[in-house]
Amino acid sequence: MRSIVMGAGLLLSLSTPAWADRVAPLTDPVTLKACGECHMAFQPDFLPARSWARMMDSLDNHFGESAAMAPDKVAHIRKVLEDGAADRVGGKVAGRFLRWVAPDGTPQRITENPAFLRKHDFPAREWARADVKSKSNCPACHKRAERGDYEED
Amino acid sequence: MSGDAPRAAPGRWELPALRLWHAALAGGFLVAWLTADEDTYRMHVFAGYWVLIAVSLRLGLAAMGTPRGPLALVRPGRSRLMIWMGGVLMTMVGLAALSGVIADGVTSVEDLHEGLSNTALWLIPAHAALVAWVFQGKRLRDKVMGAARVSALPVLVLLGLAAAVPAQAADPARDAILADYAKAAKAADSGFTGFSAARGESIYRARNTVNADFPSCATCHTDDPTRPGRHAKTGREIAPAAVSANPKRFTDAEKVEERFNRDCKTVLGRECSARDRGDFITFLSSK
Repeated sequence: MRSIVMGAGLLLSLSTPAWADRVAPLTDPVTLKACGECHMAFQPDFLPARSWARMMDSLDNHFGESAAMAPDKVAHIRKVLEDGAADRVGGKVAGRFLRWVAPDGTPQRITENPAFLRKHDFPAREWARADVKSKSNCPACHKRAERGDYEED
Repeated sequence: MSGDAPRAAPGRWELPALRLWHAALAGGFLVAWLTADEDTYRMHVFAGYWVLIAVSLRLGLAAMGTPRGPLALVRPGRSRLMIWMGGVLMTMVGLAALSGVIADGVTSVEDLHEGLSNTALWLIPAHAALVAWVFQGKRLRDKVMGAARVSALPVLVLLGLAAAVPAQAADPARDAILADYAKAAKAADSGFTGFSAARGESIYRARNTVNADFPSCATCHTDDPTRPGRHAKTGREIAPAAVSANPKRFTDAEKVEERFNRDCKTVLGRECSARDRGDFITFLSSK
């Protein structure tokens, strides 16, 4: 019996990563569904609240396509994103990203932040992989990204 | 180093002390690992200091214990491999904790701390496996293999049951959506006589020039709508557009409206009329 418990513990420790590069998972079902339809629903920790506000105000042209939705839905998601934004929640990951944002800057692309670029300095062919396709496709490499876990696999 | 030299009997307290120390170190490391999350940073720091103190304490315990007793760093009769393993693991855990203390003040050390901690983490199962190997040997392997054989059958049965999910039938919600579009199309044009799958198909397949990233519906939904699609820019998988392959299509009125409002603007550069929408749904319901 003891050896079975030990074996199970061993397997568990091998299959679970250390919780280091983590943010709180996004749990609001409306936000998860709306954002997650076209791309991973990014956790709000990676942009300041003013960036999210600008994004939710410009959904008619959301990175070159229309992501328009009902006004009450926009308001709901906007609040979720602002409440969880880097400058509202703090935390290590949020701080790492916020450090590079000008005091009045409203960046829109998380993937242009030096905190992102510093950790994703790969040759172009990696980004061109068929299963990656876009820099916004976190779960292609970070299998548990949607749960807020960006540990490498 | 030979094990047969005369030695003093170790104190009764030494083995319990060693076990207590091991529990404290393992527990501290476990807590540090579980609390590496942002929300629990303070507990993580506390556990890190705990681990660091435990590692240093081990050296003190070794000095206090009987030479060659349970607390000695190098015990006679132990396999060399286990002694090395213990040494490497302790060093790595100690370095992980130490780098964590530094990283608390100097953020640039974070990556190093992470790397060292992960290495230490991997050494733990290796250490456990080695201990199991040395102390249990064949008995352990037999048990693990036996357990695997016993548990394989129910797992297979469960998988078989899960595969036998019943198919879904047509949805009245889609008929209601189509009826609403028909009403609106009739209101806009009294000559409206019904939706056309052929007109819907030409909308689906048309190559447009408004947006170079999304020239056609088929860009994301593929030429064969019964197959899963892929967002042309993000790579996000899209469930098949055709009703035959995806019975939930066009059953949520709010979502249907939202998608037409967005995608007509993005791909066609214009609003879609009620007739366009009905034609489109009719086409994909026929596929």
